[in-house]
Amino acid sequence: MDYIYSILTLTGITMIGVMGTYMVTGLTGQFSFGQAAFMAVGGYVSAMLTLKFGLPFPLVALVGSAAAMLTGLLVGMPTVRLRRDYISLVTFGFGEAIISVLNNSAQLTGGAEGLVGIPKRVDLPLVIVSVVCCLFLVACYKNSKYGRQCLALRTDELAARSMGIDVNRMKLVTFLFASAITGYAGVLYAFYSQYLEPGYYNWTVSAEWLIIVFVGGINSLTGAMVSAVILTSLPELLRFASAWRILIYCIIVLLIINFRPNGIFGDWEISRLWKKRKPVQGGLP
Amino acid sequence: MTTSSTRGLLQATGLCLAFGGVKAVEDFSFDAKPGEIVGIIGPNGAGKTTVFNLITGVYAPDKGSVVLDGIELTGWRQDAIARQGIGRTFQNIRLFKGLNVLENVMTASDPYAPYNFFSAILALPAKRAADRQAAQKAREYLDLVGLAGMEDARPESLPYGLQRKLELARALAIQPKVILLDEPAAGLNPSEVREFIDLVRRLHERFNFTIVFIEHRMEVVMNLSHKLFVLSFGKLLASGEPEAVRRNPEVIEAYIGEEE
Repeated sequence: MDYIYSILTLTGITMIGVMGTYMVTGLTGQFSFGQAAFMAVGGYVSAMLTLKFGLPFPLVALVGSAAAMLTGLLVGMPTVRLRRDYISLVTFGFGEAIISVLNNSAQLTGGAEGLVGIPKRVDLPLVIVSVVCCLFLVACYKNSKYGRQCLALRTDELAARSMGIDVNRMKLVTFLFASAITGYAGVLYAFYSQYLEPGYYNWTVSAEWLIIVFVGGINSLTGAMVSAVILTSLPELLRFASAWRILIYCIIVLLIINFRPNGIFGDWEISRLWKKRKPVQGGLP
Repeated sequence: MTTSSTRGLLQATGLCLAFGGVKAVEDFSFDAKPGEIVGIIGPNGAGKTTVFNLITGVYAPDKGSVVLDGIELTGWRQDAIARQGIGRTFQNIRLFKGLNVLENVMTASDPYAPYNFFSAILALPAKRAADRQAAQKAREYLDLVGLAGMEDARPESLPYGLQRKLELARALAIQPKVILLDEPAAGLNPSEVREFIDLVRRLHERFNFTIVFIEHRMEVVMNLSHKLFVLSFGKLLASGEPEAVRRNPEVIEAYIGEEE
């Protein structure tokens, strides 16, 4: 029971992290290979504040997310002007740099040995509530003027600009919001696992989140969430195949990308189920 | 909105742009009076679309200036120029594929939508009211170009002619003082072309904006424009009344020299 409980909790935390990746990649079309570093910032800042100053959890959760957002500002300000491929490079380098800093400031962070003794403040119910709240915020964001402008600039920056959309500002706002959400995932992880080590946040985590978003469907938040659940629990479900599970995982991902290049869900969103249906007449020649 | 007599006055003076050694546009000047429909014609590769890109800020001119309503826009960012009141459509249709038909038009109001980040992520009443209003306005524009009832369709699923109309509706929705149409009739069949001419006339009567368009189809050029500018190899070849330009021997030569 404990085992299932912990898988569910970690899946919930991954879902929140994936929301950040979904916003950066799904909404603005940028590839962030350093998204997990924001999780590290959120986690370390909140954990250290608790350990050093004994601040209460709700406060450090807020400060942790804010710190991640501030870091996002630092990375985002220069990068939103760059072309898409360079953004991947910059975020990748930034992510690895954060890990280096965490590793090398051992007096503060415990270095590679990790940060121990974080009190347990997070359990499954809190994670579930957090997932629901974050999902609400992100879904509202997607469905607002921000989301529309992001999706517009993702398909065509030039045309978006010709509509008066401030492309760089939209990218930055989205990047900051994504950083804050991811930072919050980091806070949850820190106070759930009670132990932090820099190695947990390297680029493979960011890449995994990108895979999750692509498998679910880059245009669909619903898809990203469902695929987060499946792909996070899949390695656990495949545990019986021990040595083969990574291979099976990879094959499943490859099959999906090959046969459904737009992801499992394409651009379908679950909210369509309760939006009133109107006859669609497009496509008549 | 201002209703001064200069509204929609667009003036480009001495525009120059070179790509490396190629002079794409050389000392090109033109002007459009308020409410005027101006056509820019010329052989392929004459630099017509480049002129549009210079006016809308995609490129900054090497020399020359662009003035709208007495405000100099040279060197402004593309989105700032759009917000100043210059809308455009593209030669190769550029719709937003991630959005449905209605949302495509709604992006026009989004840069001005009167709600902030927090109302957005919490879906506060202010946000919902503003979005409802934006959707309502977008529907009106879709209605105007004859796309009513297709709000939920994906833009890429529309037939070509309707995609052109959608792009036009999207450009109209920013309530431009000047609207630039880049080969708006390209790829339309003859009956669609006639329908398109009527549509532009109707819209022009209703909004009385200034229209500058690039076009190859003589039917469109002759039917719509009040004034013509002819570009050839980046330079102004001739300008004036459509009929006079059509009979200009230099213009005929430029065109015939270009055809096989």
